[in-house]
Amino acid sequence: MVAMRFQNVSKRFVMSHDRAHSFQELMLRLFHRGEGSSKETLWALRDVSFEIRPGEAVAIIGRNGSGKSTCLKLMTRILTPTEGRVEAQGRVAGLLELGAGFHPELTGRDNIYLNGALMGLGRREIARRFDEIVAFAELERFVDAQIKFYSSGMTMRLGFSIAVCVSPDILLIDEVLAVGDQSFQEKCLRRIDEVQKSGVTIVFVSHALETVRALCDRAIWFDRGELQEDGPCDAVVDSYMASVHVHEQAPVG
Amino acid sequence: MQSRITEIIAYRELLGNLVARDLKLRYKNSVLGFLWSLVNPLLLMVVFTIVFTIMIPDLRVPNFPVFVLCAVLPWNFFSTAILSSIHAISSNGHLIKKVYFPLEVLPLSTVLSNLVNFLLAFVVLLGMIVLFRIPLTGALLWLPLVIVAHLLFTGGVALFLSAMNVFYRDTGVIMEVLIQAWFFLTPVFYPLEILPHSALVWGMELPVRRLVYVLNPMASIIASYRAILYGSTLGSPPHAPALDFLARTLITAALCFLFGLWVFGRYRERFAEEV
Repeated sequence: MVAMRFQNVSKRFVMSHDRAHSFQELMLRLFHRGEGSSKETLWALRDVSFEIRPGEAVAIIGRNGSGKSTCLKLMTRILTPTEGRVEAQGRVAGLLELGAGFHPELTGRDNIYLNGALMGLGRREIARRFDEIVAFAELERFVDAQIKFYSSGMTMRLGFSIAVCVSPDILLIDEVLAVGDQSFQEKCLRRIDEVQKSGVTIVFVSHALETVRALCDRAIWFDRGELQEDGPCDAVVDSYMASVHVHEQAPVG
Repeated sequence: MQSRITEIIAYRELLGNLVARDLKLRYKNSVLGFLWSLVNPLLLMVVFTIVFTIMIPDLRVPNFPVFVLCAVLPWNFFSTAILSSIHAISSNGHLIKKVYFPLEVLPLSTVLSNLVNFLLAFVVLLGMIVLFRIPLTGALLWLPLVIVAHLLFTGGVALFLSAMNVFYRDTGVIMEVLIQAWFFLTPVFYPLEILPHSALVWGMELPVRRLVYVLNPMASIIASYRAILYGSTLGSPPHAPALDFLARTLITAALCFLFGLWVFGRYRERFAEEV
C-alpha cells in the first residue's frame, strides 16, 4: 500500500513574460517569426521519486525556491507533472493558504458548505461535520456573521478547522501554523498529532525545524529541485542544517 | 472526455454551492432581493408595450410585445451568461492556484445561476402571454427540451471562451462587440420571415434565411421558443416545433457543448500556471 507515489517526476515552468497575451501580439508574432522567441524555462523539480506509506508523517524541507511548494501542488493535482507520474490514494486535503476559497460576503456557515464542496464533499457529509468544525474553530457565536467581519485569526482558524475535519486520507500542511496565537497553534499541533495517530498521512512543509522534528518521523530534503536526502527526520534535518551553515560561511558568488 | 464528465458530476455539490453563492451575492444589499429577477422582465415588458402599441402602433406582427419578449429573455440569458463566464477562470486565479477541483465547474456554475434568473423571468412571460390572450397549449410540454438545447449551447460557448480568455485576455473585449453583432443577426426583434430567401452578394447567390439557421444555433433555439410560446406572426396559435428541426437544434447544441468541453479539457492543466 502506498498513499503517495512520485515516479521520476519533473516539473518545468515556462516563464511567460515573452508569450503573446493578446491577439495583437499574436498577429505581430506572425510577421516576426523566429525573433525574440527565447523562452525562459525553469525546472522546479527534476527527476524526483519517492513513496509515502499510509499513516506516515513526512516533512519536506529545503531552502526557498527548492521546489517544496511545487511538490505540494503536484500532490494536490493543482499542477500536473511535465514528466513522470504522481499517484495519490484517497482524498487529499491541502492547507495551502487557509481559507483560499472563502468569500468575504458570505456567512461562516455558507463558507463552510462552499469549502466542503470545494474539497469534494456532499451536503450531508458537511452537515455531519458542521458542529465539529465550528467548535474546533471556536466560532460558535459568529458562524452566521459574514466572513468580512472576521479577524484574520478567526478566518485562519475556520480554514484550518475545515481542512482537518473533512477527514482526509492525506493532509498537506504548508507553513500555515505561523498564524493564530500560541494557544491555537498548540491546539493545531495537537490536532495534527491526533489526526496522524488515527492513520492519516501527513505531509508537512515548513522552515520551523523544531516543529518538523516534533511532528514528523521522516523528512525529504530538496535542493534546487532535486531530491537531496530522504530518511529519518532527525538525520535529514541535521544534514540540512549543516549544509545551510556551509552556505552561510562560503563566499557569495 | 467521459472521465471529465464523471468528475464534474462528482462535484455537483460544488456546482450547487457556487450557483447559490452567485445568486446570494447578486442581490446582496438590495432591498427587493431576488424579486429583481421578476421586476427586470416586467419593466422590459412595460417598455415594449408602450413603445410598440402606443408609439409605433402599426406593426404587421400581432402582439408584438410578446413576440419580442419570448425572444429577448432567452437571448438575455445567453448573452449575460456568456459575458460573465468568460472571466470565470481568469478572475479566480486565487482559487485555482490553491485548491484542486474540476475547473469546468466555474464557467458552468455561472451559466446555471443565469439559468435560474431566466426561469424566474419566465414566470413573468407566462403571465404576459395570458394577459395578451394567447392560448397556452400542450406545445408547452416541449419547452424543457428547448431549454436543455439552449443550456447545452450556452455551456459549450462558455467553456470555450473562458478557456480562451486565460491565454488571450482580449477575448472578453472582443466578445462584447461580437455579441452585439450576434444579437442583430439573430431574429429577436424581427421575424425570420422578413429576411429574403436569398441575396446577391459580390455576384454570389447566398441563401440568407437558411444561412441564419445553419450558422447560428441561437436562431433555431429562439425560433423554437417562439413557436411554443407565441405561435407564428400570421396569427396562428402556439404549436410544437417541427420534430426534425428540434432534433437538429438539440444535436447541434450537444455537439457545441462537447466541443467546448474538449477544448477546455485540452488546456485545463495549464490554467493554474497561466492565471
